[in-house]
Amino acid sequence: MFKLWLTQLGYLGQETLRGLRRGGWMNWAAISTVTVLLFLFGISLQTSWQVSGLLNQMGSRLEISLYLESGVSGQVLRPTIEEYPEVTTVQVVPKEQAWKELLQDLGQTDIDGATEDLGQNPLVDELKVSVGSAALVPSLAEKLARVPGIEEVTYLDEALRNLIQINQGFSQLSIVVIGLLTLTAIAVITTTIRLIVISRQQEIEVMQLVGATRLWIYMPFILQGITFGIVGALVSWGFLSGTRRFIQHLLTEQPNFLQVVSDGIRLSTGQVILLPLILVGFGSLVGLVGSLFAVQRFALK
Amino acid sequence: MTRALLPESDLFPKPLEQPLHHRSQATPLDYTVHLKGVTKVYPQTKFGLVDVNLRLKQGSFLFVTGPSGAGKTTLMKLIYGAERPDHGEVLVAGTNVGVLRGNRLSHLRRQLGVVFQDYKLIPRWTITENIAFVLKSQGIPRDEIERRLRPTLKLVGLQKRADCFPSQLSGGEQQRASIARAIVGSPKLLLADEPTGNLDQENALQVLSILKKLNNLGITVVITTHDMHLIQVAQAPVARIYNGRLHMVNADKTA
Repeated sequence: MFKLWLTQLGYLGQETLRGLRRGGWMNWAAISTVTVLLFLFGISLQTSWQVSGLLNQMGSRLEISLYLESGVSGQVLRPTIEEYPEVTTVQVVPKEQAWKELLQDLGQTDIDGATEDLGQNPLVDELKVSVGSAALVPSLAEKLARVPGIEEVTYLDEALRNLIQINQGFSQLSIVVIGLLTLTAIAVITTTIRLIVISRQQEIEVMQLVGATRLWIYMPFILQGITFGIVGALVSWGFLSGTRRFIQHLLTEQPNFLQVVSDGIRLSTGQVILLPLILVGFGSLVGLVGSLFAVQRFALK
Repeated sequence: MTRALLPESDLFPKPLEQPLHHRSQATPLDYTVHLKGVTKVYPQTKFGLVDVNLRLKQGSFLFVTGPSGAGKTTLMKLIYGAERPDHGEVLVAGTNVGVLRGNRLSHLRRQLGVVFQDYKLIPRWTITENIAFVLKSQGIPRDEIERRLRPTLKLVGLQKRADCFPSQLSGGEQQRASIARAIVGSPKLLLADEPTGNLDQENALQVLSILKKLNNLGITVVITTHDMHLIQVAQAPVARIYNGRLHMVNADKTA
């Protein structure tokens, strides 16, 4: 029984390879379409993972930033803010310190020179208010905005909302593009395999006459379609890993604040394993559907 | 051998003629091929077969003759299930071929071999590959294929041509290769559609003798031909298709 299985698998493998050899350059048309599709699919999947990673990283800091009116001192205002029950700690960031950090983040070393260029320090004092629970942040922010001496209140929720919106727009666009590309890839695979089926029509006719089952006749073509999908998935996975590494490499050489981003967009171990599996799965599915379309027309004849 | 062929008449075997212990088996099993009132007309040409009745016992040898386009090939196609009758039934080994579809038809075809006038060998494959292909498509293991190849090639006298490509062989050899392909699966029924149509007299006789040899091994053989010389030589029963109808002809009257 086991031996029979091996024989049959061997036969199917051989026939699939024969079909691939027959395909010639059409194979590459099919594989490259799948590769482009899966590359874009992988990018958008990866980006959505990275964005949610960034959101988590940022969202874990429950913090409200208060930017004071010009001339108001953070140290003076601090006790007033600490009186609110929701507030756990208040940290003062004097404008001098903020300026220094900003210049450092931007890679600027000549602090005095930069200050001279602008005439004066353009920043204001900032209070960083930590809050016990995320749910309390919006209401507290509203209350703090009414405190005299406070120019502007921002909290991460706003930044998050913007990011989420951008992310949603991006994923809607990518669903449309991926949908169209999926159809294209299926069409190319169908055409490729149908050409091979036609070139093997004589063999198929003989096979039908000598009693080969339909599955036996058409399985190699279906396996061939799936091969296109898997090869496309592996190539696009290679490209994806390459690009990701390249970008991370670029980011590590950048000023500090971009390095924070670099940490945020790093994929988790689970995601690193999941990505190729999803690509192979999606690729095989596209290949399967494409080849089923190709043989269906003939099998029905 | 002639007795194996029963004209569709009052000789219809009654259940009583069967030995008692065989009664439980279905009667049609005794007949390799049984056509009951088969009509198949092609709408485009209005030609075809009309009300054809034929019974062939296991081990029969039958020539089917008639003018070109009379429906000889159609008769063959009906038997191996490439055409379906408009009316009537085609029974092969008791199975109604006309209603078989998909894998059940495939399995029926494994029990019969078909030989064509144009051989239908795959030009890119050697003779061995062409023959082994049949067994491969049935999922038979490689060592079993090897075991069956040699005697089959020997039977058709092509042992020394095993690794040649069809184009390197004469017409007669190619036809013998296609017979080898048809019988390598050990079928009980061999259908040969104008097997000698493209061959000279000598090669035709060689093919005939192989088919006779197979018949002696118990295989039912049906040959369509319009080669009267072949029929004379063979001394076998003949059916003639004329105006879409099949008539039995005595072997000695065909000359």
